[in-house]
Amino acid sequence: MEMTDLEDIAMQDAIEEEEGTQFKIDKENGGTANSGIMKRDLNINELDEWISYLMKCETLSENNVVQLCDLAKSILQKEENVRNVNVPVTICGDIHGQFHDLLELFKIGGPAPDTNYLFMGDYVDRGYYSVESVSLLIALKCRYPDRITILRGNHESRQITQVYGFYDECLRKYGSANVWKLFTDLFDYLPITALVDNKIFCLHGGLSPMIETIDQIRDLNRLQEVPHEGPMCDLLWSDPDDRGGWGISPRGAGFTFGQDISEQFNHTNDLELVARAHQLVMEGYAWSHGENVVTIFSAPNYCYRCGNQAAIMEVDENHNRQFLQYDPSIRPGEPSVTRKTPDYFL
Amino acid sequence: MLPEKRLLTEDDMKLWEASSTKKELLDFISTLAEAVKGCENSQISEPISPAINTLEQILVSIDKIIDKHPVLEDKEISRFGKKEFRGFYDEINEVSEKLIHENFPSLTHEQLEQLTIYLDESWGNKQRIDYGSGHELNFMCFLFGLYKYDVLKLDIDARNMVLIIFIKYLDIMRSLETKYWLEPAGSHGVWGLDDYHFLPFLFGAYQLATHKHLKPLSIHNEELVEMFAKKYLYFGCIAFINSVKTTASLRWHSPMLDDISGVKRWSKVAEGMVKMYNAEVLSKLPIMQHFYFSEFLKCPEGVSPPGEKGHIHDGKEDDECLAEGHTHSTWGDCCGIKLPSAIAATEINKKKHRPLPFD
Repeated sequence: MEMTDLEDIAMQDAIEEEEGTQFKIDKENGGTANSGIMKRDLNINELDEWISYLMKCETLSENNVVQLCDLAKSILQKEENVRNVNVPVTICGDIHGQFHDLLELFKIGGPAPDTNYLFMGDYVDRGYYSVESVSLLIALKCRYPDRITILRGNHESRQITQVYGFYDECLRKYGSANVWKLFTDLFDYLPITALVDNKIFCLHGGLSPMIETIDQIRDLNRLQEVPHEGPMCDLLWSDPDDRGGWGISPRGAGFTFGQDISEQFNHTNDLELVARAHQLVMEGYAWSHGENVVTIFSAPNYCYRCGNQAAIMEVDENHNRQFLQYDPSIRPGEPSVTRKTPDYFL
Repeated sequence: MLPEKRLLTEDDMKLWEASSTKKELLDFISTLAEAVKGCENSQISEPISPAINTLEQILVSIDKIIDKHPVLEDKEISRFGKKEFRGFYDEINEVSEKLIHENFPSLTHEQLEQLTIYLDESWGNKQRIDYGSGHELNFMCFLFGLYKYDVLKLDIDARNMVLIIFIKYLDIMRSLETKYWLEPAGSHGVWGLDDYHFLPFLFGAYQLATHKHLKPLSIHNEELVEMFAKKYLYFGCIAFINSVKTTASLRWHSPMLDDISGVKRWSKVAEGMVKMYNAEVLSKLPIMQHFYFSEFLKCPEGVSPPGEKGHIHDGKEDDECLAEGHTHSTWGDCCGIKLPSAIAATEINKKKHRPLPFD
């Protein structure tokens, strides 16, 4: 067989769309051995099943996560550092494990794949359901590779997730760090920026003093843990600031950049706009630098306390932009996880 | 020598963890906790010593400084913390040494120098406008220093150090947190014990350790929480969390507290809190990289020498870097960075250890 599974799925997806018919696949399942775990190739039915399961806020089994991450890796490693995305597309900011708010996002923006989505990172850490949120987004990415783009945020990192919650959550929900390792290994493959119709430059953090042109980003080797400094670090960590020029970031990584920098960057690269996430903004979106930069944040009432609205940005075929704001979803009842006494208290 | 940060690497942490300094600090905190076992907040030990009264006055003065820095800008700003917090922080830094000196005139100049930094750093980080258990630890170090300098006496003052002084400190922190929207520093989000604090849970569990009726599970009972919020620190914390995290129940936004509520007895929670504090606060590099060693909190032998410290991105050092015509601070490194060339900063940082980036 010439095609990989992935192309197979993507192609069947395309056929399905073209013909507009329900498509049933009977794909033979070749068994392959990998890192000691017996795996079967995934088929679309299986992926659809997982997605409907994940939409109910259930976790996948560890073995399924192995399969999912494997498939996702084969898709993501073919994507460029600067992923080209066509309009129409809906651009989203930080999610941070707020699963029910992610479902709300799909309600407001339209279900995938009816709506094309571009997520700008920070799926994990801090919220209760990082595992479920990131599993769902990756499953959707695998199922509809051309309709969903997922970029890397500064929290898609081994070091940061050990400090801000995702590691604790994986340990709590799976009893070991295996799933954390699978996901953080996969995060190395996520593209770091996207370019919407060559006009809107999307990334998690902001600009870098070492990057003047978008072509320079294409040359980076992104297949690594988010470094402590350098261009790849800056793209995931920097923030726009009222002060002009470059400044030291109070975050301890990346830089702050002023309007002069944003204007120059947009001019040099013939861009309309830089769209980024990374910072809490009370209305869910905020313009800065004379509309050269927009910040989009998609986790409402961040950390269950900040009282902020969330937003997503729709860009239509004619490049019209519209912001859709939303409030926290109403959560149903109590969580299903049973209590487990932490070791310190045994 | 002024207090300084020294812990930079995992090897440093190993030396620190085995050190007598760490043991002494943890013993100090345990002694305070034992002193409030079975006590409600109001059950202070009497008579109150002059030192406790004086210390409380210092905190009252600090509390008043908050009112002088109201939040003016409510406009949309990208950082979630309110910038007016920096005014409060600056004023504390200006007056703290004088405040301690005036109230405890017996302390020498050298002793004041050693103590002041801990009081300054007890309220959060100026630049990032955040607060966490590391800042809370600074306040404990301040009390520890006063004890080492014989201002406070454990046999007389231990209980009141928690029930009067720590509670007043916590009140001030609640004001700062709510007024300036301090961001939780290094927060594990829902997966941590709390966004900001650790010690009120530790002391609070000791308060409840001998209680006949209240159980750890009682934190889920709204009426009980309301009834006991002012009597016990632990319930006070639960009430505060419930008041600020409004869109979900405790089981959602605080799974760690939920898990702990499954423990049968408060005495077991109390023991566990000390173990957890030792492991999750005192033994974590992201927190301890900001810890100051001093005359009374001696740095263990063999830890990275002070000259090797990275350019630490917090507090006033950065501000001085960014200001035009800045004065020399005690942080020699800051002057090595030519601004506004950020590339130079990157180059310099490459050669040094860096603290874990914040969020």
